[in-house]
Amino acid sequence: MTSAQKGRVADIARHRLTPAARYTLGLAGTVVGLLAIMAALYPPFADSANVEVLAMNFILEAFMALGMTAVIVSGGIDLSVSAVLPFAAIVTGLLLRAGAPVPFAIGIALLASAGVGALNATMRQVLRVHPFIVTLATMLSLKGVNLVITGGAPVAGFPESFALLGRGRLLGLPFALVLFAALAVAIGWFLAHHRYGQQVYLIGGNVRAARLAGVHVERVLLLVYMLCSSLAGLAGVVAASQYVSASTGFGQNSELRVITAVAIGGASLNGGTGSVGGSVLGVLFLAIVYNAFAMSGVSTYWQDVVSGVMVLGAVLLAQAAARESRTRRAAGPGERPAAAQVR
Amino acid sequence: MNDQILGVQGVSKRFGRHTVLDEVTFGVRAGSIHALVGENGAGKSTLMNILGGALRPDSGTVTLDGRPAAFADPLAAIRAGIGTVHQEFGLFPNRSVAQNIFAGREPTGRAGFIRWRALGRQAQAILSEIGVDLAPSAPVATLSVAAQQMVEIAKALSLRPRVLILDEPTSALSDHEAQRLFRLLADLRSRGVAIIYISHRLSDVRQIADEISVLRDGRLVGRTTREASPADLIGMMVGRHIESITPSRRTNLGAEIFRVEGLTRHRVFADVSFGVREGEILGLAGLVGSGRTEVARAIFGADRLDAGRIWLEGRALAIGSPRQAIASGIGYLTEDRKALGLFLTMTVGDNIVAASMPKLVSRAGVLRPRAIRAEAARYLHRLDIRPVDDRVEARTLSGGNQQKVLLAKWLSAAPRVLIVDEPTRGVDVAAKAGIHRHLSQLADAGMAIVLISSDLPEVLGLSDRVGVFREGRLVTILDGATATQEDIMRHASA
Repeated sequence: MTSAQKGRVADIARHRLTPAARYTLGLAGTVVGLLAIMAALYPPFADSANVEVLAMNFILEAFMALGMTAVIVSGGIDLSVSAVLPFAAIVTGLLLRAGAPVPFAIGIALLASAGVGALNATMRQVLRVHPFIVTLATMLSLKGVNLVITGGAPVAGFPESFALLGRGRLLGLPFALVLFAALAVAIGWFLAHHRYGQQVYLIGGNVRAARLAGVHVERVLLLVYMLCSSLAGLAGVVAASQYVSASTGFGQNSELRVITAVAIGGASLNGGTGSVGGSVLGVLFLAIVYNAFAMSGVSTYWQDVVSGVMVLGAVLLAQAAARESRTRRAAGPGERPAAAQVR
Repeated sequence: MNDQILGVQGVSKRFGRHTVLDEVTFGVRAGSIHALVGENGAGKSTLMNILGGALRPDSGTVTLDGRPAAFADPLAAIRAGIGTVHQEFGLFPNRSVAQNIFAGREPTGRAGFIRWRALGRQAQAILSEIGVDLAPSAPVATLSVAAQQMVEIAKALSLRPRVLILDEPTSALSDHEAQRLFRLLADLRSRGVAIIYISHRLSDVRQIADEISVLRDGRLVGRTTREASPADLIGMMVGRHIESITPSRRTNLGAEIFRVEGLTRHRVFADVSFGVREGEILGLAGLVGSGRTEVARAIFGADRLDAGRIWLEGRALAIGSPRQAIASGIGYLTEDRKALGLFLTMTVGDNIVAASMPKLVSRAGVLRPRAIRAEAARYLHRLDIRPVDDRVEARTLSGGNQQKVLLAKWLSAAPRVLIVDEPTRGVDVAAKAGIHRHLSQLADAGMAIVLISSDLPEVLGLSDRVGVFREGRLVTILDGATATQEDIMRHASA
C-alpha cells in the first residue's frame, strides 16, 4: 500500500492518494451515506440490536472475504469456498458426535479445509488449469463428498461448550464478531505491510515479473489458497456452532456473495489490486442492502432485482470518486504528469 | 580474456525440434560494453535468459569469474551480481516506483514487515544517482513508457550488479532519452560494470559498444568492433546484403485528400492542422509523449476531440468511434501491437480480416470462410509473412511478422488514409526493410499515409514531408528531401 509511505508525504504532496485509496474512501462514503439514509427513513435501523443483526447476517461471508481478497489480489479466484464451509461444519459435527474434544474437532476441520486449499493450488500449478475451473471442480466434488459422508442428513448433538463460539459474547459483542475483527486487522496488515503480503500483489500484478524478481510464486500461491480455504472452514465451524448442527445446505451460493463483496471492495478480478479494508466495506455494503430490505418490508423477490442494481451502483460511485482526482491530475499539452518527467 | 566476468562456452539450447542456440561462446569483461546483435529469432533472448538464470542450457557451460556456474533460477543470478533489464517490461503497474525498484527485496524489519520509509529513501537514492526525476511513490501505471524504462533500469542497478544485461533498452525511448541512457551506461562502464547490450539498432550499438557479437540462427557468426560499417553488420546479421533500407521518394503526388484543422484535445494537444495528398507520406516526428499518438487516436475516433474538423476527399467527417473511422476510409496501425493491435490467441487469418469483415460476409451477416481464407492467403504472400499459414496463432509469430499481419489487416480494409504508428519498433532489419517497401508501394498506389516514428532515419527516408511535434503542438512541417535529423531534433526539443 502506497498510503503507507507516509514518511515521504511532505516532498511528494503531488501524489496525495493512490487511485486505490481514493476508491476505498469513496466506498466508505457510499456505505456511510447508505447507513444515514436508512437511519433517516427507518429510525429502528440504527438500533444497536439491529446493527448487530445486520453484521451477524453476513459474518460467514465476512470471514470468507478475508481469504478471498488474497486470492483475488493474486490474480486467482476460489469458487470452492461454498463447499468448504459445509464441509468443515460437517467434519466438526461428525467428530463432536463421535465424542472428540471440541478443540480437536475444530483443529481437524480447519486442517482439512486448508488441505482443500492446498489441493486447489497444486492442481492449478500441476495441471496448468485456470483456478476458476480448478476450484469449480473442487466445489462440485466436495459438495458431493458432503452428501456422501452425511447421507444427506443434518449432523447434530453437540456439547454445550461448542455453542460458545457461535453464540458466546465477549466485550459485549458476539464472540464471532470479535474474532473476525481481530483476523481482519491481522490479515489486512499482513497483506499491506509484510513482504510476503506484498508478493501477493506482485504475483497478481505481473506474474512473470514477480518470478524474475525472485518471488517464489508457487509457494506464495499455495499459502494464499490455503488461507482462503481455512477461513471458509472457520466460517463453517462458526456456522455449526451458531446453529448447533451441521448441514450440507450451509453456505449455499456464498461464493458469489463473497466474490461480489470483494469486487465491490475494489479488488480487480485481473489481480494486483484490492485490500482487506475494501473487502470488509464490500461485505458491509451487502449486509446493509440486505437488512434494508428486511426493515422496509419490501417483498424479498424485489430484493434480488434491486441488489444487482445496487452492487453496480456502489462500484460506479466509488469509481467516480477515484476518477475525479485523476482528471484533475491530467497534464497540460504534451506534458506528462510532473512525476513522470525524465529530467 | 582472463578478466571475463560472465560468459558461456559452447552453449546449446533446443526447444522441441528447434535449435535456438548452437554451440555459442560469448563473454563480457569488466568495464566494457559488449553488444549482441541479430535479427528477431536469432537467439539473443534465449542467450540472455541463460545468462540471467531464467533458462538452463542443454549443453555447454555458463562461467562466472572463469569458474563454471549453474544458476538454478533468476534469483541465483541476481545474487551473483547479474542485473537484467528485460525488453518486455517486468513492472507491476499498480505498485509505486519504489515498490517496483525493490520488488521482492523490500527492506524489512523484524518478522518481515516492510519498512516503508527506508524503501522510499533507498528508491530516491537510486533515482538520484542515475539522474531520474521520479517520485518514488508514483504508481508506475501513471508514468510514460520512457519513465517506466528508467524504473526498469533503476531496478537492475539497485542490485549493484557487476554485470548488467539490457535487452533493446532504447526501443521505447526518444533519441534524447536514449542519449541520456548511453551517458549512464558509459558511467557504469567506467566504474567497472560489465554490460551486455542487446539491440537491433545498429546506430546505438556503434555508438556505445566496445565489442559487437553477431548472432544468426542460433550461431555466433561474427565478432567485431564499433568501427564495422552498418552494411557489414547487417550483412552478418541477415547473411546477405540488403540493397537499401530506405526506398526512393515519390515524385508525382495527387491532390490533397485528407485534411485536419485545429484539432484540440484539452491538455493533451492543441490546434493541430495538416493535410496529406494522394500518394504522399507525411512523417510525424517528435519526442515520445509529444502528442503524436494522441492525435492519431483522436482522428481515428479512439479518443474524443474537444475541437477541430476532419475532411476526407472534401467531405467533413464526424468521427465518434473507430468503427466510423474505418467506414469513412481511415486506418490506424497501432504502436502497441500486443495490447491494441493483434488478437494474439486468434489465428493469423482471423487477424488479417478483422477490420474488413463487411466485405467478407454474406448479406445475412454470415461469414464466408472460403473468401476469408482467400483474402488472408493473398496478404500472407504479398507481405511475405512467415510462416505462410493462416491457421497459426498470432502470438507465435516473431515481432516483425506480427507487424506485417497488422499491416495486412489494414491493407485488406483498404483505407484511403492510413496512419501508421511506430511501424518498425522492435522488428528486425529484414522485416523493417520489408515494411518500408510496402509503405512506399501503398503510397505509390495512391494511399495517403501518415507515418509516426521516433526512428529519425526512417521518417526522413520515407516521408515526403515531416511534421514535428513538441508539447502537444505541430510546430513545423519540413520538406522530407532536405530536412536533416538535426533540424528535426531542434524543433522537437527547442
